[in-house]
Amino acid sequence: MTHHRDIDTGPPDEYVEAEIQRLLVEDPAVAEQGITVIRRERALVLYGEVESPHRREEILRLVSERFPDVPVTSDIGVIRAQAPTEIEQLP
Amino acid sequence: MVIRIAAVGDVHLDEDVVGRFRPALEELPECADVLLLAGDLTRHGTEAEARCVATEFGGLAVPVVTVLGNHDHQCDQVPQVVKVLEDAGITVLEGNGVVLDCAGGRLGIAGVKGFGGGFAGRCASDFGEPEMKAFVRTTTDSADRLGAALRSLDCDMLVALTHYSPVPDTLAGEPLEIYPFLGSYQLGQAIDSAPTALAVHGHAHAGTERGTTPGGVRVRNVAHPVIKQAYSVFHVGDQLDTDQVSPIGQSGSQRSWS
Ligand SMILES: [Fe+2]
Ligand SMILES: [Fe+2]
Repeated sequence: MTHHRDIDTGPPDEYVEAEIQRLLVEDPAVAEQGITVIRRERALVLYGEVESPHRREEILRLVSERFPDVPVTSDIGVIRAQAPTEIEQLP
Repeated sequence: MVIRIAAVGDVHLDEDVVGRFRPALEELPECADVLLLAGDLTRHGTEAEARCVATEFGGLAVPVVTVLGNHDHQCDQVPQVVKVLEDAGITVLEGNGVVLDCAGGRLGIAGVKGFGGGFAGRCASDFGEPEMKAFVRTTTDSADRLGAALRSLDCDMLVALTHYSPVPDTLAGEPLEIYPFLGSYQLGQAIDSAPTALAVHGHAHAGTERGTTPGGVRVRNVAHPVIKQAYSVFHVGDQLDTDQVSPIGQSGSQRSWS
């Protein structure tokens, strides 16, 4: 695994971003391709949509476990699954 | 003549999701003649996850027709996954089609998973290393089978069902850099080789809903994170030009995509 610079020396590496993105896809506990990792000053923000609250928790658990020194905030939503209220007419 | 089509893709089921879609699915007979699933039914393509799909989407009052997605291939258990789905009464398409008798006429659905490759002018070519050729040939082969399936169906209305996108329009919102992993223009070409009324796909979770093939066929990205509801419903064919919906055998082979 990549060795990380101390967070105090600057914003997290671009490689951390790449590694987190691949971790979220390739780790069997998550397997999410739809999560975006954005670098903000001194923190990474995860956003996207998942199918259950459990999956959101798994993502955060996995990332903080593998990158304990990287501050991460999350804005991941759970996709609504209600019946549609409108239909689309395609003449 | 109107055929009512409900569709969703990328539901990525596992035990933690079972039951979430069911209340909305129970309402389907009131608003749709068929439910199309645009692939990525599971997270990893295991038999156990397929059973979750069977529980959630089996035994509905409308026919359910699906293609698989890339996630459904992850654990190399495709035959087992297909069997679990078919045992639950779900029709799984891959390079073939099905014709359903609906109140509004005979609905023909042709499906393939599809593959990446990119879009006209910015796509991979069948050239160079064997790995590159294998990649492009996978796409070409998939598109060829979709086109042949579409042209083979004798029906009043024709729908194409894929996981990967046939057009770039419905990818808007995804990073441009990954378009070649999200779809391929050859799928659009196949759709335009037949008098297709509607093309439905998933896979692009951050894309947008609406697009059109170069030949003028409407395309809808129904990935669950895009539509943000249990399924979308399309009423197709209200004032369709009768030429456009005549039997495929007569008009399909004559219409060129160019
Ligand atoms: Fe997906
Ligand atoms: Fe996918």
